[in-house]
Amino acid sequence: MINLNVNHKKYRIDADPDMPLLWVIRDIIGLTGTKYGCGVAQCGACVIHLNGEAVRSCVTKLSRGAGQEIITIEGLSANNNHPAQVAWNEESVPQCGYCHSGQIMSAAVLLREKPNPTDQDIDDAMAGNICRCGTYLRIRKAIHLAAELQKKEGGTT
Amino acid sequence: MSVSEEIEHLSRRSFLRIAGIGSAALCLGLYVSEKAGAKVVNESEASLADAGIALAAWIIIHTSGKVTLICHRAEMGQGVYHSIAQIIAEELEVDLYGVDIQLTQGDEKKYGSQLTGGSSTIRGSYKNLLKLSATAREVLIMAAAARWGVDPSGCYAASGHVIQKSSGKKLHYGELVADAAKLTPPKEVKLKTRADYKVIGKGSLRRDSPLKTNGQAVFGIDKRIPGLQFATVERNPRLRGKVRSFDASAALKVPGVTRVFKVVMGVWDTDREGVAVVATSTWAAMQGRKVLKVEWDDSGFEHVSSPEIFRRQQELLQNSEGLSLSTQGDPTGIIARAKDKLDVVYETPYQSHSCMEPVNCIAHYQADKVEIWGPVQAPNWIQDYVSKKLGMDREKVIVNMTFLGGGFGRKAMPDYPYEAVMVSKEIGAPVQVVWTREDDATQGPYRPGISYRCEGAVENGGIAALKFRMAGQNNDHWMRGDSGKANRSTSEGFLKPYYESIKHISFADVPFKTPIPTSFWRSVYASTNGFAYESFLDELAHQAQKDPMDLRRQYLKDERSQLLIDKMEEVSGWKNRKKNEGYGVAITECFASTVGHIVKVSKNGDKGIRIDKVWVVVDCGWYVNPDIITAQVEGSVVMALGAATIHEITFKNGMVEQRNFYDYKMPRITDIPPIEVHIMENDENAGGMGEPGLPAFAPALTNAIFDLTGKRIRKLPFDLANVH
Amino acid sequence: MNNLVKPWQRFMPSRTVLIMGLLLYFVGLMAFAMNHKTELKKELPPHVVIRKDSVASVKAFTAVYKVLMSPRCMNCHPQGDIPLQGDDSHLHTMFPKRGLEGKGVLAMKCANCHQPTNTPGLNTPPGNPNWHLPPADMKMVFQGKTPRQLAKQLVDPQLNGHKDMQKLVEHADDGLVKAGWNPGEGRSLPPMSHAEFKKAWITWLSTGAYAPKK
Repeated sequence: MINLNVNHKKYRIDADPDMPLLWVIRDIIGLTGTKYGCGVAQCGACVIHLNGEAVRSCVTKLSRGAGQEIITIEGLSANNNHPAQVAWNEESVPQCGYCHSGQIMSAAVLLREKPNPTDQDIDDAMAGNICRCGTYLRIRKAIHLAAELQKKEGGTT
Repeated sequence: MSVSEEIEHLSRRSFLRIAGIGSAALCLGLYVSEKAGAKVVNESEASLADAGIALAAWIIIHTSGKVTLICHRAEMGQGVYHSIAQIIAEELEVDLYGVDIQLTQGDEKKYGSQLTGGSSTIRGSYKNLLKLSATAREVLIMAAAARWGVDPSGCYAASGHVIQKSSGKKLHYGELVADAAKLTPPKEVKLKTRADYKVIGKGSLRRDSPLKTNGQAVFGIDKRIPGLQFATVERNPRLRGKVRSFDASAALKVPGVTRVFKVVMGVWDTDREGVAVVATSTWAAMQGRKVLKVEWDDSGFEHVSSPEIFRRQQELLQNSEGLSLSTQGDPTGIIARAKDKLDVVYETPYQSHSCMEPVNCIAHYQADKVEIWGPVQAPNWIQDYVSKKLGMDREKVIVNMTFLGGGFGRKAMPDYPYEAVMVSKEIGAPVQVVWTREDDATQGPYRPGISYRCEGAVENGGIAALKFRMAGQNNDHWMRGDSGKANRSTSEGFLKPYYESIKHISFADVPFKTPIPTSFWRSVYASTNGFAYESFLDELAHQAQKDPMDLRRQYLKDERSQLLIDKMEEVSGWKNRKKNEGYGVAITECFASTVGHIVKVSKNGDKGIRIDKVWVVVDCGWYVNPDIITAQVEGSVVMALGAATIHEITFKNGMVEQRNFYDYKMPRITDIPPIEVHIMENDENAGGMGEPGLPAFAPALTNAIFDLTGKRIRKLPFDLANVH
Repeated sequence: MNNLVKPWQRFMPSRTVLIMGLLLYFVGLMAFAMNHKTELKKELPPHVVIRKDSVASVKAFTAVYKVLMSPRCMNCHPQGDIPLQGDDSHLHTMFPKRGLEGKGVLAMKCANCHQPTNTPGLNTPPGNPNWHLPPADMKMVFQGKTPRQLAKQLVDPQLNGHKDMQKLVEHADDGLVKAGWNPGEGRSLPPMSHAEFKKAWITWLSTGAYAPKK
């Protein structure tokens, strides 16, 4: 039994400690917002926050998550209102939408650490997330907008 | 029937019907089955049902006032979930953000073909949907007017209510459901003009977007049903291979693995085999699969390799005239006699669709029916295929559509749903079969790799003749068998007005076959034809010492093309560019829309070529949502950029060499040039927009590189960093 | 700010590193090293015994150089701020940046993909608990260096992470250095075993750390 803390809820998981968190979260806990894209940390569709870092859950073992704080896209905000989520909707970023759980989770770390990201910062943070629909220009726009929204909210974390 | 024929057919033979569903809702829809001829318009619903025709309810108004709209096609990113609702909301006078939108099941009797391909959804249904929605609104106004005892002309509809102008009295649609169900809808209704539109023509924020920013959207891979098991399949890495034997003992020892057995996946009329591992989680199934030992049977088909495929194609192109698709004039004779002529070969690679959501499907095989849930573009084809394979009635194959994490043509194939059905049949329980990214890359089907031989004659500063031959696999062979005729897509992408102004043109298909399964890939043959034909026109322009844009202006004489070229010149500053500054142009037609690209490139120090800017001008006729169109074009440019400069599928000894995003690399946020999209304003018939933005990018790019460097690129993909 | 680690501390031997092998070889003394710096010093000879021999030194460095310039070592000692990847030492896909501490930046920190251990499978992220590049203020570039340049850089405390001779010797058994010999499936190994490398490394250092002419 491994204790997991996902989106501020405690779970006791009876599974192989080597099972990647991606599959624990999707197939055992039942939160399907975190996506399988490549299984080898190439595409970023599976990004979750592990103690606040944009960790690729497809290669992160259950054992590494034990007792740590895990946040998935479902737990990023109470009402789809994290500045990145608001901006993503404002700019109609998603097309098929499959990659955007991961995109937003990556962007959230960027926005926390660089409240006023430059285009270079966006490249540095987001090049690990693939979007086959090619929404990259809008992702960039949405991150700049999210930074503004974040400022207006008065908080930068 | 081709997509465009189907669209014609549907708009001729569709009629509004109105029917109550119990007492709780009013259901408004159309009869769109091809069987519904004009003679049945006034017949009862029962006789229509006898004729195998059912009401396609796009609008359901509940007595509570809640309005549900149906998205009858696949939503795979192209935005129809939103734009269908946008069309209905306009004429029905409901709040676009207040209605429910539902994905539906496969039901051709109701909706006609639901094949979401050929960029056909909006152009194929907008006229019907506008008429349906306007009629529904009029019926509700009639019901309210009758209730109030006033003339309907004194009433109007807004935000889901009917309002009497003089008194301001107001009823919501739900309160009118019972009365409206008894009325006969008017035969003719007046549709709004573009100037009246409040919803259509505006870039409203997508309804599916919020579902996709908080993990709520249910893609096929996210679907869960009670008792669901998970499976993955080790398939023969050779594309038509079979299983000789396998050893499941190690796999069965993996905790969570419950069953291991041989399974057949049909690729149209070809079977390929694999070994399925069923488990309690996707990961357990994958772990079991890793320790599976399988001996393959690779006999009975050719094991192809990449360089050889293209060498054979190009040999054929030198030695065969092929099957003629169309010929006007005598291009062969003109070119033979011409002094100034070109004869060159273009080559485009095999490509993978690589949807971000890997292929997957849930099937539940039961004694009397099969139920399927999945990311599918062509539910009716699945019904056809599975019912035929199982000897079951088509109606017993129920296909529930989910959101698709990308489709691009791959998810129009019925192979993976059928495979899931066979796994479910074996275990007697519902199962989700998930393809790994490696399966997706190595198993196909693929966009066919093609070689083109382009010949042309130049005379008096213009084009005297064009002769195009193509050697590449024909997707139709997988679906319909080989008819012995030319691939009907041989000229796809080539602009129709050229036929008016260039007297001698021919297109021929030199038959070429391999055992590699191929399929539609976003914009289909236009994606490769466009590169060859539009690059070749650029070559001829330079040969004739003509400005490449002027050459197009000279031969695209129709007004729409001229206006498009005006716009292209205006937005890109084409006329003010300096000599050899790195500008390239290409224009292609695809699924009834014409799209022109201008690409500007420059030298990137010692790192080859940099793309500075892409301008795209779109003429898609009447349109719904300019923001979605812009997004589709941006995405098409990115996909075209990847296919032209980053990735390709290659084969070695019958197996695919690429496995995942590390060797089939994708464009990333760091690779994307600025893209500026302009849409022509006119009220011509709507054209497609999911795909037409793609084909002209690659030739505009290589034409720009020629302008800058004098280097002609005739083979894709090429590395921008290695162009000097 | 109190959790900020000084760059040179990154190259301390990890807590349970066994360094007896190299000392056994070198001075014939067997000892377990403690993680604490002062304790460590107590149990080790104060100085590596140097017996200058320029010919042997340069010869040993030829072997050292081969290893350091192999993809397993050089890929994380790049010229730029982006690590290299693969046996062909191409620029790391997705361009992760070094960052101040060498641990990546923003949503692309090394440990977001690189786990404490190798991830099974081909082309999966190799792992180590301490996966990182040299920090921004001490980049220790190998890529593009001639043997002479690299040799001089390796013994210059201003360029080598403030390592004295003893720390340099110990560095052969650094966890991340040794990870080069456990590269994960499908990656080539350095051109000699770790034991051979260590022998060459210590020979080079103990014979005077001579730099080749070029």
